[in-house]
Amino acid sequence: MVEMEQLQKEAKEILKQGKVKFVIGYSKGSQNLTATPVFIKKPEHTSRLIWDPTCVQNLVKFIVDDKQKQSREKKPDERPVGIVVKGCDSRAINVLIQEKFIDRDDVYILGLSCEELGVVDEKKIAQKLEGKKIEKIEFAKKNNLIVSTKDGEKKIPVKDVLADRCLECKAHFPVIYDQLFGEETEREVKEPYKSIKKTESQSPKKRWDFWKEQLEKCIRCYACRSICPMCYCDECVADSINMAVTAETTAEEKAQKIKWIERSPALSENIGYHLIRAIHLAGRCIDCGECERACPVDIPLRLLNKKLEKAAHELFDYDVGFDHKKPSLISSFKDEDPEDFIR
Amino acid sequence: MKKRIGVFVCHCGINIAGTVDVDKAAKKLAEHQDVEHSVDYVYMCSDPGQNMIKEAIKEKKLDSIVVSCCSPTLHESTFRKAAKEAGINEFQCEIANIREQCSWVHKDKEKATEKAEKITKSAVERVAKNESLEPIGFPVTSRALVIGGGIAGIQAALDIADSGYEVILVEREPSIGGHMIQLSETFPTLDCSQCILTPKMVEVSKHPNIKLMTYSEVQEISGYVGNFNVKILKKPTYVDPDACTLCDDCTEACPVVVPNEFDLGLTGRKAIYIPFPQAIPATFTLDIKNCPGLLPIACGKCADVCEPDAIDYDMEPEVVEEKVGAIVVATGFEQYDKEKMKEYGYGKYPDVLNGLQFERLLSASGPTQGKVLRPSDHKEPKEVVFIQCVGSRDPELHCSYCSKICCMYTAKHAMLYKHHVPDGQAYIFYIDIRSGGKNYEEFVQRTTEEDGVVYLRGKVSKIFEENNKITVWGVDTLTGKEIEINADMVVLAMALTPSKNSQELAKKLKLSTDKDGFLAEAHPKLRPVESITSGMFLAGAAQAPKDIPEVVAQASGAAAKAISILSQEQLFHSPMVAEVNETLCTGCGMCIDVCPYEALSLEQGKAEVNRVLCEGCGTCSATCLRAAVKVKNITPGQIFEMIDASVGG
Ligand SMILES: Cc1cc2nc3c(=O)[nH]c(=O)nc-3n(C[C@H](O)[C@H](O)[C@H](O)COP(=O)(O)OP(=O)(O)OC[C@H]3O[C@@H](n4cnc5c(N)ncnc54)[C@H](O)[C@@H]3O)c2cc1C
Ligand code: SF4
Ligand code: SF4
Repeated sequence: MVEMEQLQKEAKEILKQGKVKFVIGYSKGSQNLTATPVFIKKPEHTSRLIWDPTCVQNLVKFIVDDKQKQSREKKPDERPVGIVVKGCDSRAINVLIQEKFIDRDDVYILGLSCEELGVVDEKKIAQKLEGKKIEKIEFAKKNNLIVSTKDGEKKIPVKDVLADRCLECKAHFPVIYDQLFGEETEREVKEPYKSIKKTESQSPKKRWDFWKEQLEKCIRCYACRSICPMCYCDECVADSINMAVTAETTAEEKAQKIKWIERSPALSENIGYHLIRAIHLAGRCIDCGECERACPVDIPLRLLNKKLEKAAHELFDYDVGFDHKKPSLISSFKDEDPEDFIR
Repeated sequence: MKKRIGVFVCHCGINIAGTVDVDKAAKKLAEHQDVEHSVDYVYMCSDPGQNMIKEAIKEKKLDSIVVSCCSPTLHESTFRKAAKEAGINEFQCEIANIREQCSWVHKDKEKATEKAEKITKSAVERVAKNESLEPIGFPVTSRALVIGGGIAGIQAALDIADSGYEVILVEREPSIGGHMIQLSETFPTLDCSQCILTPKMVEVSKHPNIKLMTYSEVQEISGYVGNFNVKILKKPTYVDPDACTLCDDCTEACPVVVPNEFDLGLTGRKAIYIPFPQAIPATFTLDIKNCPGLLPIACGKCADVCEPDAIDYDMEPEVVEEKVGAIVVATGFEQYDKEKMKEYGYGKYPDVLNGLQFERLLSASGPTQGKVLRPSDHKEPKEVVFIQCVGSRDPELHCSYCSKICCMYTAKHAMLYKHHVPDGQAYIFYIDIRSGGKNYEEFVQRTTEEDGVVYLRGKVSKIFEENNKITVWGVDTLTGKEIEINADMVVLAMALTPSKNSQELAKKLKLSTDKDGFLAEAHPKLRPVESITSGMFLAGAAQAPKDIPEVVAQASGAAAKAISILSQEQLFHSPMVAEVNETLCTGCGMCIDVCPYEALSLEQGKAEVNRVLCEGCGTCSATCLRAAVKVKNITPGQIFEMIDASVGG
């Protein structure tokens, strides 16, 4: 069991000692279901930190933000950032270190083990409530959620509403940390790629129809990109509007700038955008599911990333984010890598 | 800025014009907004063809051209030179390959014409965005490295040294000479191998331009053509060659006897030894693996008797760093692994020998002073069976290739055997006789006509020892008869394989190897002594099995190639190299990991290209998630336009 008090105590300690500039963690959600990210700068505020299955967000994105902010500052505070991470989130940190975006010393990691649980999926809870609006939600003993609606309280076992990614998670405890809370319990994952089973079994035509229908919906709000901890480039190749123009950018460079895809949210351009993004996440996506959660039009983006995760595992024996000392998938080559798909 | 592009479509006789409507293609390209001039001509590469291009450039004020013809590997440089002569930048000339990639592989004229137009248009789109570039010049270190001191390495080193350039010759073993020094007499003229090789070995040791490093191996290599940095590991011999007077007292004192490699185990040697009397350098080597101990309590007898105190137990391995401009790799061959030839009784019966062992028996300096005697009982063998193609031409179990020299040396063995034992009988089992080469066929004829050698076409099915004889069962496929010979000795013509660790060395040097592990040449016909890495050349049996005349010819060829680099003041590198956009680069370093030429490094958080190392392969560009690195004149933008044109856009 993760003792919340211990987490708060450790956070308080490192803030007191000035070891970190602040601690990014979870606090109670205001009224809605999910927890709210919180930046804690003062030791006395650490009692606000919580840990329960509503802590769905991947806070690593805030490290990316902080790093980018720092690079613009004249006198940046170079102390590490304290951060609360789950297993999946910790793998995102590994990828960032692997890609030299951050150094190991840039972060002080408070790692939390999900033990036998994980985090909840809001949509699954909504289904259980048959459309009734949540007034209050409480995480009770014995791993239950007590949800209040206008019709009174309802007890829902967390296990019934766990996010799909948690059911498929290969490492539900942090793989990199400074302090670990909770146990590194074993947990069997029967079907690590269950969510893509259905689409994989479909005919190409059926799949194409499915994705056309899904991607047609995209309004190109770029929420998926904004929330993704791996999307840290100043200029996104998948987006022709955003080009990093500096004093050195020549007119020629501006003219040479390729518009791989147009701005308009037409199907062809949407497909271009999502496929570029998916390919650019191959061997980098750690399946925190944030893109899918952030998508306002419910595109099942996880499926794309999961498919590539599976390919990386099966073809190249590569699992994302487990070792920051290893070269990344795209930049590593082994003599025995399969090449029979090159024709 | 809009360009003024000229398009020149070549007929290549009927090679292209037979399948592609060249006139139509040229007219079609003329419609392109950037194309000022578009024509076709029968042979663009001919002098009139080139002149036509040059005149058009001047008259029509063209600033770039596309020549639609054969593969750029053939005539790109021709047309770039022509463009330069006409006053435009040579990198404003691009080739559209409409022969190998179009006319030669299609039949339907209409469709082929359409494809030729697309290929040409895609080159037009590319050249429209080409930058003018200048070749990158860099200086050359005018010294060479030769790896391997067999006849190939010796010949290459002497040729380069004679031209006035310094050579470092690195040999793994304690002496140079390779396999040739072990041979008795050599076909087809039967001159004594040692007699013709030792003068060259002495020349190597005396040559002012040759730095000989024996008992040494190349440990690490970096750099590029004209400027390689090599780390050479000098293994300790524990004997000071300058102090050693070659008195030989140490070998008498040494109590350890091990099989002598030079005689392939037919004799023994001591733990301190000189490989053979004419060894170069003439000095002893203490074989540390077989020496019981360097401490005087363990043994130390050699040091006790050595009057000039030449034995130095404290000698350490030494790593020497050298800079060279060109490298010749001549690491030779090895006989096929005996473990794999157990079926022929090799290693089991003492009188079943391999070809090199038989050479030692025939050699005047060999274990029997040139008498052919059986190792088991020192009796003269009266019937000897020679078996060809042992391990060669057997794709199922062994090597699929022909080892090339075995037909000839087996004929030589049978002939020399008869010269030693005139009343003996020699049999040769063969698949067929390959005797191409000057005077080679005549040589083989002599063995049957003058020496009564019996050639049996067929394979041997079983070999076993019985009553002090070696029984050979086989089938003569010409008569269909089964054959049994009770021989006194059997000699196996083992397949030739690349020398051991040559794969490892190839990896270090970034050379490729062929399917059998021999070092691969850049082109089987037109660049047989060049490797795929510029500045590295191949010589001798390391590239493929071959005999001495061929080895020597190739070694001289490799030397000439090396000299053509060493004699330059400056070399030029293609300017079509990678370039990093620092604003986009996040410094993830993925490109550094993938670059096959180690041309990239991270400098202050950004990727940086070493322009001389970069071969412009584009791997980095394909890897970079941020499109921060691109190769000049083949940028993602250009590729995009080229794809667009290819698919008909
Ligand atoms: C039984 C037999 C009989 C033959 N008879 C004849 C004949 O009569 N006439 C004829 O023309 N040809 C004959 N040949 C062929 C002849 O031996 C070869 O053509 C010739 O020896 C090849 O020379 P080379 O220098 O390429 O290789 P090698 O002689 O094999 O020399 C290679 C040298 O490189 C060294 N080396 C290997 N690896 C390294 C390394 N990593 N670093 C440093 N040094 C290294 C080795 O120690 C060796 O000294 C015969 C061959 C055999 C097996
Ligand atoms: S891969 Fe791209 S971003 Fe990464 S270091 Fe190389 S050029 Fe920079
Ligand atoms: S183009 Fe090829 S050789 Fe040049 S830096 Fe990129 S990967 Fe290396």
